[in-house]
Amino acid sequence: MNPVPLKESRALRWMVAILGLVLVLSLTQELARPETTDLISAGTAASTLRRAVPILLAGLGGIWAERAGVVNIGLEGMMILGTWFGAWGALEFGPWWGIAIGIAGGAAGGLLHAVATVGFGVDHIISGVAINILAPGITRFLSREIFAKQSGGGITQSPRVESVGHFDVPFVSGGEIFGWATPDIFGWIDDRGWFVVSDLFAVASGITSNVSWATLLAIALVPGTVYVLWRTPFGLRVRSCGEHPVAADSLGVNVYRMKYAAVVISGGMAGFGGAFIAIEQTGIYREAQTQGRGFIGLATVIFGNWQPLGAFLGSILFGFADALQLRDRTAVHALLLLTGVAVGLIALRSLKRSQPVGAGVLLLISALMLWWYLVTDSVMSELPPVTPHIATLIVLVFATSRLRMPAADGMRYRKGQE
Amino acid sequence: MPPATAVELTGITKRFPGVIANDDVHIRVAEGEIHAVVGENGAGKSTLMKILYGMLVPDEGQMTVGGEVVSFSSPGEAIDRGIGMVHQHFMLADNLTVMENVILGAEPLRRGAIDLDAARASLEKLGASYGLDIHPDDMVETLEVGERQRVEIIKVLYRGARILILDEPTAVLVPQEVEELFRNLRELKAQGHTIIFIDHKLTEVLAIADTITVLRAGRTVTTVDAGDVTAQELAELMIGGDLPSPSTTTHQIDDHVTLSLAGVTVTGDDQREALSDVDLAIHRGEILGVAGVEGNGQGELIEAILGLRQLAGGSLTFNGEDISEWPVRRRRESGIGYVPEDRHRRGLLLDAPLWENAMLGHQTVEPFAKGSLIDRAGARNATEAIVSRFDIRTPGIDTTARSLSGGNQQKLVIGREIAANPLLLIAAHPTRGIDVGAQAAVWEELRRVRTKGLSVLLISADLHELIGLADRLVVMLGGKVVAELDPADTTPRLLGSHMTGADVENGEPAQ
Repeated sequence: MNPVPLKESRALRWMVAILGLVLVLSLTQELARPETTDLISAGTAASTLRRAVPILLAGLGGIWAERAGVVNIGLEGMMILGTWFGAWGALEFGPWWGIAIGIAGGAAGGLLHAVATVGFGVDHIISGVAINILAPGITRFLSREIFAKQSGGGITQSPRVESVGHFDVPFVSGGEIFGWATPDIFGWIDDRGWFVVSDLFAVASGITSNVSWATLLAIALVPGTVYVLWRTPFGLRVRSCGEHPVAADSLGVNVYRMKYAAVVISGGMAGFGGAFIAIEQTGIYREAQTQGRGFIGLATVIFGNWQPLGAFLGSILFGFADALQLRDRTAVHALLLLTGVAVGLIALRSLKRSQPVGAGVLLLISALMLWWYLVTDSVMSELPPVTPHIATLIVLVFATSRLRMPAADGMRYRKGQE
Repeated sequence: MPPATAVELTGITKRFPGVIANDDVHIRVAEGEIHAVVGENGAGKSTLMKILYGMLVPDEGQMTVGGEVVSFSSPGEAIDRGIGMVHQHFMLADNLTVMENVILGAEPLRRGAIDLDAARASLEKLGASYGLDIHPDDMVETLEVGERQRVEIIKVLYRGARILILDEPTAVLVPQEVEELFRNLRELKAQGHTIIFIDHKLTEVLAIADTITVLRAGRTVTTVDAGDVTAQELAELMIGGDLPSPSTTTHQIDDHVTLSLAGVTVTGDDQREALSDVDLAIHRGEILGVAGVEGNGQGELIEAILGLRQLAGGSLTFNGEDISEWPVRRRRESGIGYVPEDRHRRGLLLDAPLWENAMLGHQTVEPFAKGSLIDRAGARNATEAIVSRFDIRTPGIDTTARSLSGGNQQKLVIGREIAANPLLLIAAHPTRGIDVGAQAAVWEELRRVRTKGLSVLLISADLHELIGLADRLVVMLGGKVVAELDPADTTPRLLGSHMTGADVENGEPAQ
């Protein structure tokens, strides 16, 4: 097998997929006009990216733990620790220190999980749930002791914190180089209003303008995780602990140490996600501001088949649903149209793979969605805020085939067992 | 001058709570020889090898490697001394590539990352120099058993092992793969490696070993040269008495057909046909042996007969009635008994007491039930009867199934099924992983019930067992019955070549 053509064809497939997606979004946008203009725009793209980052970080955290064979349902709790410690660090020492201290807070939660599951052999789910219950208690206590005594703070929130700063990418989005403002090429094409092309550049413009440095760091963690897990001895050893710890042990790998390290890294990632929410997204610590993103992150692990890139795509999807409901509630109504079209396309694929029953069910769902879209002008007000969670459910239903979880995921390991 | 000593174990003793696994064991292995360690299950072979490989620490005794006294507290230390182990249950991660499995724990580095090119090159070099055919980038889950074993051997060679321990390496192989393995071992020996080979198949041991050490009940019985001993003598040394064998006595088979399959087709878990158009008939009082490499439809055959798997085509007739649409319970109650291949997963509730285990599958009928309720007293009496009739060694019927030895667990499962007086008994690998004594008891019982008119469908990987017990043999390959043989003029070799689909035109496989 020659690896070069494979890579080329993969790159080609990606480009086709992205173009197809933009095309579908553009078409749906045209159909839904003038009800909403937010299905595909620079603003939605930027917001999607911002909303996706914490989910992505939780997802990467989930991958680190599960690749080492530890189910980390405590990601949510570790994220909550990240929000509090992130805000506190940012207030005391500045935003970058806030990120670092948020990571440390999450890593401490990870260490607790590792001590329980790896050290004492506690069931992974029980330990994770305990951490999810413990974390809000700890942060409430700390808030009462610290934030409540500061001006602008209280027992449920901190004073406002500063963000780490943003940048525009030079030449494509008008970023500055040594004080010289480069042209904003993407923005210019976006403004031309060319069908599909402008939409494509609107998305590009959205994700290259006013980008947080922390977002850049988070996205760099995707290839970073791939590199460490698949190209370094440490990563291979971590993965071997998730697949066959007895074999790893028989080759002199210290299984406990690998698992500890992976779960602490996992917690650190979730903590970064929490700190990102507090410092970058909202600029304030508020109780319960993670809103279950740790769990959605866990869903992206499964959606992404325990691969970092897959989790990244999953987080973009959930980020999109989240961004849409935040920016423009009427856009959620247009989402019905989009879902109808998407399910219809999946139905056609099933039909092509000669799965008539599945295709029939999907076509029916698609028709129902379109009918719902046509006979209504808006959706009930309860629906928009839970759109990301509904998207999670729908996607997991369709993504569960062909998934391959680490073979020893969630199992207790004792040295010397067979 | 005699060859130098590679490994010497002196006075090794290892105790576990309640058992002495090794009791004052002495073994001397010369450099460059193939040294076999034989003994029954539970004779202490595996414990001894785990001590040598650093997985267990002996309570007493001394080990020398290359003349130096050593004591290992982890496999890593044994590896450093040039000792490698090929485990009986392969230590391979399915979802990693061959290369990742081999280099794990000893990865070649370039600038902090794994040097994949160097790793691939060294694997290919090792493979070429020992005649071991492997592909570094394949996922392990796609490999056949023989290939996995080669990966295991490469794994220890990659770590620079000069002394290789192989724990029952032939247990999972068909005869042709065994020959391939033996070729590889001879090649390793020719290049100066020392091989310690654990087995209990004596013909194989005699074919490959230079020296043989016999263990019995945790003690060394003797060490002999392979040239000076016969299989019969070895067996008697191993069990300390006469050898039981699965030899059949001739007897008359009825014309009455107990179970017949007509054109049975079944879809497997991967949506492909696992059984295609299978025709089979089992007569009253007949043991029908099914041979085949694992995964060629035997599992699906059992599930189809029991009703655990829907038929995609064809029909099942049991005792004159079409049972194709019957649910499992009705089939079981009408007289189909089942001894599953994995007694832990399908045969027993390990943490339940024996008397509860004894009613599994029969919990709706007397003596285990009265109306719709469990008859506790009846169940306990019936269990006592099974325990005494099948000689199950247990302190009582309230102990858990887990605390019985493998052989006694198996006797419980077989006893439970036979005590229910079935018309047909499906026995999947009934003697797998149990010792020679229990094996003889199981064979005796199957032969006894057969003469009383019970039909037995015997699925086994032990070809001697199949040839010795069965009245008629069929071979399955790729979900089809590819051959029907008379055990009276069948050899394991011939059976093996049918199982792998090798050329059998002249009644002998192609070389």
